Amino acid sequence: MYVGKKLLRLGENMDSASSSKVYRRNEKKVFNKTNIMLYLMILPPLFLYYLFRYVPMPGIMLAFQRYTISGFKYWVGFENFTYVFNTPFFWRAFRNNWVFVAFSYVFITPSPILFALALNEIRVRWYKKTVQTISTLPNFVTWVVIAGIFMQLLAPNRGYVNQVIMFFGGESIYFLSKPALFPWLFTFMRIWKGVGYSSIIYLAALAGVDPQLYEAAVIDGAGKLKQTWHVTLPGIRSTIVVLIVLSFSRVLTGMFEPIFVLKNAYIESTAEILSTYIYNLGISRGKYYLATAIGLFKSSISMVLLFFANWLSKRVTEDGRSIL
Amino acid sequence: MLQRSLSEKVFNVFNILGFFLFTIMMLIPITFVIKTSLDISQIGEVNLNLLPVEPSLLFYRMVINDESVYRPFMNSIIITVAGTTLSMLVNALGAYTLSKRQLPGSRFFIYFLIIIPMLVGGGIVPTYLLIRALGLIDTLPVLFVPQAANAWRMILIRNYYWSIPLSLSESARIDGAQEFTVFFKIILPLSKPVLAAIALFTGVAYWNTFMAAVLYIRDAKKYTFPVKLRELIILGGDAEKNLEEMLMQLGLDPTEYFLSIEGLSSVMMITAMIPIVIIYPYLQKYFAKGIMVGSIKG
Repeated sequence: MYVGKKLLRLGENMDSASSSKVYRRNEKKVFNKTNIMLYLMILPPLFLYYLFRYVPMPGIMLAFQRYTISGFKYWVGFENFTYVFNTPFFWRAFRNNWVFVAFSYVFITPSPILFALALNEIRVRWYKKTVQTISTLPNFVTWVVIAGIFMQLLAPNRGYVNQVIMFFGGESIYFLSKPALFPWLFTFMRIWKGVGYSSIIYLAALAGVDPQLYEAAVIDGAGKLKQTWHVTLPGIRSTIVVLIVLSFSRVLTGMFEPIFVLKNAYIESTAEILSTYIYNLGISRGKYYLATAIGLFKSSISMVLLFFANWLSKRVTEDGRSIL
Repeated sequence: MLQRSLSEKVFNVFNILGFFLFTIMMLIPITFVIKTSLDISQIGEVNLNLLPVEPSLLFYRMVINDESVYRPFMNSIIITVAGTTLSMLVNALGAYTLSKRQLPGSRFFIYFLIIIPMLVGGGIVPTYLLIRALGLIDTLPVLFVPQAANAWRMILIRNYYWSIPLSLSESARIDGAQEFTVFFKIILPLSKPVLAAIALFTGVAYWNTFMAAVLYIRDAKKYTFPVKLRELIILGGDAEKNLEEMLMQLGLDPTEYFLSIEGLSSVMMITAMIPIVIIYPYLQKYFAKGIMVGSIKG
C-alpha cells in the first residue's frame, strides 16, 4: 500500500516536473547544462582543427601573390602558375607522380587481393598465421627504416643482392642510382611493406563468403580455378570496388615520406614527385609563392578526383554509399 | 569429406612453397640488417652467409655511448608518450560529443572536422608559415600537438560508444550524474578495448614521426629518432669522422678497426624497430578482432 503510494507519487512528481515550464524551457534551450558540457568536450579538437587546418587556408592566396624583400605583398594574378607551368622541373615531377600512380594501380592494388586469395587456400593454420604475422609487421615500421634496409640490401658491392650477383659471376650494380629502375624498386618496396596489412581486409571479406556456395560449385563440378572465379571473386567484389574507389581521392598524396628518403641526385629525374618538389621549392629554397601555386594545383586535382570518387561510389556500391 | 583432385594437390604444394619463398623474401632484408649490426669484419670476398663473420657488439656499444643518438631517441619517446596521452584524451572526449546524435550542431562538427578538411587545405607552405609565425619551429610540441586531434580516430571511438547500451548512462543520469561524470565513470571504463587499440596505433604513428620533424625541426638536439636515422643512413654525415670519434669515446684505437657506417645505421634501424616489435602482438590482437577492419568497412 505504502510502496504503491510512493510509486504513484514518484510518477506524479515526474509528470509535473516535465510539464512545468522551467523544465521544458531548460530542455529546449541549446545551451542547457548538459549541452554546454558536451560542447566543452569537443572544444579541444575544434580548436586544434581551427588553428592548424583552417587558419592556414587563406594562405592559399599566396599562390596569386608575390612579395618584395621588405615583405610587401602584391597581387600578380596567375603569373606564378604560368611561371611554374613553363619550368621543365614541374612537368618532370608531374609526370613522375602519374607514373607512380599507374604503377600503384597495376601492381600494388592487385597484390593484396592475390595475396589474400592464395593465403586463403592454405589450410594449415599455424603456417597461415606465421605468414601473416611476418608480412604485416613492416607496415608499422617507418619508411626511413624500410628505405634504410633496402639501401643496405641494394648497396653496391657490400649489399646482399650484389653479393648474390657477384657470387654468380656478375658485376655489382648500384641499383639506387639507376633512374630507369627506380619506379620498379619503389613499387617492390611498397608491396614488401604493405601487402600483408592491406590483405587483412580482403581476408576478412573472404572469411565472409558462404561455404555453401563452394559446396554447390563442387557439386556442379567446378575446379579450384572456377570456384575462385565464380564464387570467391564475386564474394569480395564489393570490398575491392569500395577500396579502389576510395583510393582515387588520394592518389597524389601519401608518397612524400618514402620518396623524400629514397631520392638522391642520380635518380631525381624519375623520383621527384609534386610533394617533394613543393618541399624543395618552398621550404628549402624559400620560394613560398611558387610552391603554394603548385600545392594549389595539386590539391585542385585531388579535389576533382574526390568528387569523381564520390560520384562513382554512389553508382557502383550496392547501397549507393557516398564518400562525402 | 570431399575428394581432392590431383590438380588441387599440386596447387596446394606450390601454394605452400610459394608462401615459403615469400616468407624468406620478407625475412632476408631484416636478417641482413641484423647481421650487419653484429659484424665488424672488413670488406672481403663474396659471402652469402647471413651470419656475422666477426661477431661483436661493438656497434651497439658505440650507439649507446653516443650523445647525438641518445637525444633523438629520448625525443621520440617524449613525443610518443606525451602525444599519445594528449591525443587519446582529446579524441575520446570529442568522440563523446560526436556520439550525441540529438545534440544541436552535430552536423556542423562532421562538416568542420571531416568534410571541409577533406576538400580544402592550406598545404605544406601556408602551414609551415603559420607554425613559424606561432614560434613553434624547433620545439617538441610542434611534433605532437597539431596532430593530436584526429577526426577519423574520433569516428572510430564514437562508433564504439554507440555500441554501449544507452540504459547504463541513462541510469547514472537519473542518479544525478553530470555528463563529465557519466563519461569518466561509465563510458570510458567500458571503452577500454577500442581506446587501447587506437592508443597503440597512435603511439606507432608518433614513434614514426618523420615528416613533421623534417619540416619544422632544424636544431639537431630536437631531432626525432627517424630524422637522426635518415641523417646517418642516407646522408652518411661525416661517417668516417663519426666512427673514429665514437671508437675513441670507448677508449679504442681507431686505426685497429676498419668499420663501415652501415653497421652503425643497422643498430639504429633495429633500435627503431624494437618498440614496434614489442607492441606488435597487441596490435595484432586488435586487428585480428576486426576493430580496424570493421571500421574501414563502415
